[in-house]
Amino acid sequence: MTHHEVEKYRKAIRVLHWIHSGAFVLLFLTGLVLFIPALGFLAEDSWTRLIHRIGAAIFVIAPIIYIILDPKAVGRGLKQAFTWGSEDLGWLLAAPRYYFLGDEKSMPPQGAMNTGQKMWWFMVLVFGIIFVLTGAIMWFAKEAAPSAVLQWMVFIHDVSFIVSGAMFFLHIYLAVFHPLINEAWGAMTGGKISVDYAKAHHGKWYEEITKSKEEKA
Amino acid sequence: MVDKAILYDATRCTACRGCQAACKQWNENDEYIPLPSDKIGVQAKNWGSYENPPDLSPQTWLKMKFTEVEANGKVRWLFTRQACMHCTDAGCVKVCPNGSLYHHTLGFVAYNKDTCTGCGYCIDACPFHVPRSTRNIFTGIAKMDKCTFCTTQGLDRVAEGWEPACVKTCPPKALKYGDRDKLVAEGKKRVQELQAKGWTNANLYGENELKGLHVMYVLDDNPEAYKLPADPQVSPATIAWKDVIQPVGWAVGGLTLIGLGMNYLVARANAKKEEK
Repeated sequence: MTHHEVEKYRKAIRVLHWIHSGAFVLLFLTGLVLFIPALGFLAEDSWTRLIHRIGAAIFVIAPIIYIILDPKAVGRGLKQAFTWGSEDLGWLLAAPRYYFLGDEKSMPPQGAMNTGQKMWWFMVLVFGIIFVLTGAIMWFAKEAAPSAVLQWMVFIHDVSFIVSGAMFFLHIYLAVFHPLINEAWGAMTGGKISVDYAKAHHGKWYEEITKSKEEKA
Repeated sequence: MVDKAILYDATRCTACRGCQAACKQWNENDEYIPLPSDKIGVQAKNWGSYENPPDLSPQTWLKMKFTEVEANGKVRWLFTRQACMHCTDAGCVKVCPNGSLYHHTLGFVAYNKDTCTGCGYCIDACPFHVPRSTRNIFTGIAKMDKCTFCTTQGLDRVAEGWEPACVKTCPPKALKYGDRDKLVAEGKKRVQELQAKGWTNANLYGENELKGLHVMYVLDDNPEAYKLPADPQVSPATIAWKDVIQPVGWAVGGLTLIGLGMNYLVARANAKKEEK
């Protein structure tokens, strides 16, 4: 069957994805214990803060290493997050019927990332930066910054936590549990998706990669 | 139960700092002056004041603050007690993530150090800038400390029916311990006496501030002269975080999970229909 598959994610991007999401889960859980009073006892004696900081270091360092190793790929990725067109609006309008009722007639063909994935990728960038900036102030300026600043940093950090946490649930749900999206997990673990799935879910992208292959041949 | 309180009469205080020493001695906070290299202390050096140590620390829960005020060509030396004010509307209790800070049945703010997570939220939520914490900048391992109204486990004077150590030791009886309403009445009476003597700005600080402090001050001048906040408030950020963001977080998290569950049921049913 291998010849009926195409590579969706390169190995480097898969490794980055899992290291970064692993750090996020670590950060999410150790942050949750301070946000939910009933779980607060788990944070006694600061151990969850130590884990949170290890997670934070990985969360920051992993993408930096990736940027150093392959700045061109990062450039392409960033361009995707900021490229929006009319088919994105079409996707948004058609998405509810597709994701609830399985009706794909009005879904416009999508690139390597569909509109929803682009929105998530955009959020990862924005909230990632907000998390790192507010977190760094709490970490390094706890003594130096004024009380009000520190309090609002916690506030912003937690707003980001709520929004990105909810979207994180959505991301896991769509990638792992949604009945129609059955190859996303394989794409991010093994790297490959079937040609049929590529045509159905990323039609525009499939056209691009097959065209460039033909040109090379 | 009837709330207990401490009444501090600044006009009787001689700033002997017996309370500082008694506080350290009773609560087993080392009596030596901690150095900055100990991570818990502050530099002790001549900085133009008899005030010493210059600041509260995790090992110094109570200290006398000296303020020099010049009025009508005369310098007045004002003494203030600097320690936890044991608010009724306490910002620290509001933000503490796991109830390590809580209201004692007698009204003041008690503290269970064993369960403290070291988050430091209380430090920034306190309108009086009282809580202090040890903190490792690298690992984040931290522990807050503050006056517990002498109710620290194993060192609980109040449970024995004794007054807090600072009150016990006060030679001029500037510190008094007792039922809060009785001390309010006593404080008001003292303020009237002072006003009759010509201290027209005399006031009782803490009767109504933050819905009533459990440490009240008899002052012969405005609170500002003593470097006390005239109108202490729980900060907007504390309220926004605790009363807005936390419930919103629960709602968003819950609704997201419910929404995804519903989507799953509908989408799966439709997918099965398609197969048939």
